[in-house]
Amino acid sequence: MMILLNVLMVVLTLGIKGLRSVRQRTTKSRKRRLENALENSIFSDETDPALLKLDGRDLDLLASLMIDYLYVLSGEQHDRLVRLAEEVGLVRRYLEKLRSRGRWRKARAAENLGHFGGPEHIDPLAQLLSHPDETLRAVAARALARIGTPEAARELARQLGDTSELTRLRMAENLERIGASSIEPLAEVLEKARESGEGRLYGPVQAARVLGQLRAAEARPALGHAALFGENVDLRAKAALALGKIGDPDDLPTLFTAAEDEAWPVRAQAASSLGAIGDLAAIPVLRNLTLDREWWVRLNASRSLANMGPEGERALTSLLEDDDRYARDRAVATLEERGITRRVAEELAVPGERGDSARAMIRAMVRAGATRYLGRLANTMSDEDARLALRKILAAETS
Amino acid sequence: MNLNDIILGVNYFVLGYFLLINGVYLILYAISFAEIADYVRREVFSGLPELFTSNYAPPVSVVVPAYNEEATIADSVRSFLTLHYPLHEVVVVNDGSKDDTLDVLMEEFDLYESDQPVRVQLDTAPLRGVYASQTERLIVVDKENGGKADALNVGICAANYPLVCCMDADIILEEDALLRIARPMIESSEVAAVGGIIRVANGCEFEKGRIIQARTPSKPLPNFQIVEYLRAFIASRTAWSKLNCLLIISGAFGMFRKRDLIAAGGYKHDTVGEDMELTTRIHRTLRENNRKYRLSFVPDPIAWTEVPDTLRVLRRQRDRWHRGLIDTLVRHRKMLFNPRYGAVGMIGMPYFLLFEFLGPIIEILGYATFVVGLLLGAINAPFALAFFLAAVGLGVLLSTAAVFLEELRLERYPRWRDLFKLTAYGILENFGYRQINTLWRAFAMVSFLRKNQSWGSMERKGFDTNKTKGKPRKPENSAGLEETEPPDASNRAKRT
Repeated sequence: MMILLNVLMVVLTLGIKGLRSVRQRTTKSRKRRLENALENSIFSDETDPALLKLDGRDLDLLASLMIDYLYVLSGEQHDRLVRLAEEVGLVRRYLEKLRSRGRWRKARAAENLGHFGGPEHIDPLAQLLSHPDETLRAVAARALARIGTPEAARELARQLGDTSELTRLRMAENLERIGASSIEPLAEVLEKARESGEGRLYGPVQAARVLGQLRAAEARPALGHAALFGENVDLRAKAALALGKIGDPDDLPTLFTAAEDEAWPVRAQAASSLGAIGDLAAIPVLRNLTLDREWWVRLNASRSLANMGPEGERALTSLLEDDDRYARDRAVATLEERGITRRVAEELAVPGERGDSARAMIRAMVRAGATRYLGRLANTMSDEDARLALRKILAAETS
Repeated sequence: MNLNDIILGVNYFVLGYFLLINGVYLILYAISFAEIADYVRREVFSGLPELFTSNYAPPVSVVVPAYNEEATIADSVRSFLTLHYPLHEVVVVNDGSKDDTLDVLMEEFDLYESDQPVRVQLDTAPLRGVYASQTERLIVVDKENGGKADALNVGICAANYPLVCCMDADIILEEDALLRIARPMIESSEVAAVGGIIRVANGCEFEKGRIIQARTPSKPLPNFQIVEYLRAFIASRTAWSKLNCLLIISGAFGMFRKRDLIAAGGYKHDTVGEDMELTTRIHRTLRENNRKYRLSFVPDPIAWTEVPDTLRVLRRQRDRWHRGLIDTLVRHRKMLFNPRYGAVGMIGMPYFLLFEFLGPIIEILGYATFVVGLLLGAINAPFALAFFLAAVGLGVLLSTAAVFLEELRLERYPRWRDLFKLTAYGILENFGYRQINTLWRAFAMVSFLRKNQSWGSMERKGFDTNKTKGKPRKPENSAGLEETEPPDASNRAKRT
């Protein structure tokens, strides 16, 4: 008995591989046959009769082929393919399968309906958004995003507050994929949270993130309100970040206020956003933020200054002489990280004002303790004069 | 009662034990089979490419301890940096290397001295400095030597993101391994840690830190270990994960929530089985805090590692593993048969005590009394056959079933030749290899009683056949930030 069982296990193992090889070969030949019929139907505008007689696995095979084609075709041929799916009965087949009891059948049906379906299929797909299986919810979200109408976006926006983080991020991804049609439903999520005082929930936070990704200028008022008065820190931070992504200088006052928020994540995002907008009026606020007690705020503020051209760099350089050790260290790190130190060091041997300013900055850096990186530059820079000048400064300042 | 009766009695006891242990394995296989079937079906709809491009996935810190890795560290870090994940950083901890590991990193990644604070929340050796890359999301923490556990603890503290993936510096990951292992943690906030499958790299074809084709090696010893790994990871851990009794998340590749790692106290320095000890401690801490949680195992995020190909090195490895197991059981004996710890205390820990810890002693006792019984004529032919079938026949069945499960669901070895080889090694491993392992594990108990804390050394030959990898290494002792996204609050810098 035991020997038989063992032999059976070996036979099963080898048999599975053998069966799989045979199946792969037959599928390949069936696929080739279907591909010919499909191409005839797309390009001749007459449906090949062979496609109308398909059933079962052949229909699924045809669907997977058509999906491949959908990715590469556009315009008239794309529309023809969608009509063809209706004609050969694929849409009907998957609508029926959507009602089947098996999870994976439902999932396959939803996935394919996303490709071949239209606005009339939003309702049955939306019902799957509350299915207990996470994968099924994700497939339905993907399908709705492919349909991409404002109604589909509204259904997705409703699920932004799901308890599963993966589901929330799937909804957010797909709302972003839908694009402009998502803006209104997302702004509504923020508005609704404002009215109901449900700002602590996940939904508004995700809505603010997606609106930022979509650079949704229309949602600025809702985002501005959320950045200042949102009940939870995450919401205020994400709204501040979104305003930076939208990049409208009219939001500077909102961000200046956010930069004084009691929660460090909000201040950190405000610092980033001020840098993203790039308005020079933000430099004093950013300089102040480089003295913040929280490292992340200092990091974002100093990086924002580094991105604001010569004025920002000047503000950053001035921090090298600041009394605050943490601000000095951060300024040094940002100047090194952003390649400013290297660029300035290469100007050390240049005569005139540029050289003077470079020498002053490098001296300040040495005094701030940034000798290791400068030491490396003194050995690796290609310009010999600059190298010598740097070594001289290092020797003078460190002695 | 004479000697023959005693011998017969012992043999009956051992026979019963074999039947029980193999019965338990069969149950675990059945659970794994169902779980993997579900996993594979789910994978079809997983949408991993979408997750990869998602702007919303939680960021991950990959922690890599490094000790004397100058020959390979640059390639390893580069391969970790190019893993497919929307936002991840690599935190390398140079554990007081005596070679030029730090200098190689400084040169290769253009590191600058960073002012990034490391909030040391775990017991670690002193830090020397923190460096960051100008071009990559890479942080290098330089510290005094303190061992692998110590280096991992520093890496965990320096990690900026809420999910932390701990791994060995010399492991090769598949490109989407991070996405796959992170998925259960994103899916449910109840998942505190996830283990991934480790596969045997010997014989496989690699290029530029990525696997080109999975193949079986020519030497027998690694082939035996392939079957062993299939049994341990695919057929066993999947089931333990389903029962929420997973007691090992491999130190070579596992993902955790930073807050849970810190709460549990990080890795312990004074154990040789730090991965099992930590996993058990996470269970213990979360149970004691009445947290609803799960520890998961995903059979698909693949990490490839080189396994010993000589008996000498393999013996040392197995000795260390078994000492680690005993150490964990001793430290956390309070959890044994304690309903307060749920399934872990009532199923997981007792299983490890009765079958993994005591298994070698009972198996050796069985073989010895079986031989003596035969010599004295105390055992008749039908009993001898039953004993042989229980000891070896069921073992063969379990090994070949693991190969079957691999082929049915995961299909990692595409060549017929490899499948034949694995099936053959699945049978052969029960005639000698398994018994040697049992013997080593029994010796490990003596070693544990002598308070041996050594790791032993593992000679590695390197993966990339197209490159010279330098001399064999001894990694056992080893241990760019998104500007706009502040990480979890636990890493906040303190000015004081």
